[in-house]
Amino acid sequence: MPINRQKILQLASGFRGRARNCIKIARMRVEKGLQHAYVGRKLKKRYWRSVWIQRINAGTREHGMSYSGFITGLKEENVQLNRKVLSELAMNEPFSFKALVDQVRFMRGLSKSPSGQQQ
Amino acid sequence: MALTGKLAGQVPCITERRVATRIAFQGSRLAARVAPVTRSRVTSPIVCQAVAEYKGDLLNKSYYPTGADAANVNKRWYVIDAEGQTLGRLATLAATYIRGKHLPTYTPSMDMGAYVVVINADKVAVTGKKSSQKTYFRHVNGRPGSYTVETFTDLQKRLPERIIERAVKGMLPKGALGRNIRLHLKVFRGAKHDHEAQKPQDITKEISLKPKNGPGAQVLAAKKAA
Repeated sequence: MPINRQKILQLASGFRGRARNCIKIARMRVEKGLQHAYVGRKLKKRYWRSVWIQRINAGTREHGMSYSGFITGLKEENVQLNRKVLSELAMNEPFSFKALVDQVRFMRGLSKSPSGQQQ
Repeated sequence: MALTGKLAGQVPCITERRVATRIAFQGSRLAARVAPVTRSRVTSPIVCQAVAEYKGDLLNKSYYPTGADAANVNKRWYVIDAEGQTLGRLATLAATYIRGKHLPTYTPSMDMGAYVVVINADKVAVTGKKSSQKTYFRHVNGRPGSYTVETFTDLQKRLPERIIERAVKGMLPKGALGRNIRLHLKVFRGAKHDHEAQKPQDITKEISLKPKNGPGAQVLAAKKAA
């Protein structure tokens, strides 16, 4: 079922030139805009996961561990924290995040005690 | 966790407490990677208090910085001594700090990085035969066939700052943001720099080493011999 003209012109607000006022052109640009929005919703999930990973990497490197080592340690221990929450912990809860890194280091056998003394 | 006695009377506002937390929390080795001063989020020095204080879902909404968080006034300053350092390894470190990739608040679309001052730029080194073989190309006139090619040693005699600037520029993103953060690298020829007032922190020790020159050198050599 096609969308009616009024809805299309509403969706076309803010577009450049005739694309916001003339229905024939607006229809084309709005269709393309909706396609971009569809694709963008899928890309957004990938983008944010990569940003979380980079943030976690920075946080773990502050404590002398790499992201890869950290994540393998978490998987081995079956810690279900996802990357979104881990990145927020790295930013807002530095003590908790350090405790996580220390725990991973201990569980992987890279340190003698879970309280964070490096080998 | 309570603030240390030294800091207790000096940090009144809630956003400054985050800096105090980080300072109390990190040792001298990690002091270079202190978080930015102001954040758009309400944070607390007490463990797990930030979640309670934040109006909304702190851990489930990804952080996006505001203009105030990325303001130049709040950026840290660091200094690297280039004397005898390998060019590429120094440039990598500078680019990482300028881009902001050393911070957990890293955001690719905004400039969350730091300022980096490089001193003794005329004494930076390259390995192998690069000092006579590494060339720097430059257009002269805009016309075809009008260009000059300089070797590393010649350019170091003429404009040593350009060597480090070009190395770091190649490691930063290309685009409007890259062009802006390029200006956050300050290179100086001698041992003196103009930014004493910013009290930059020395991060020369963090330049990466080739594994055979690093702390695990004996282990590597033993493996190779075996």
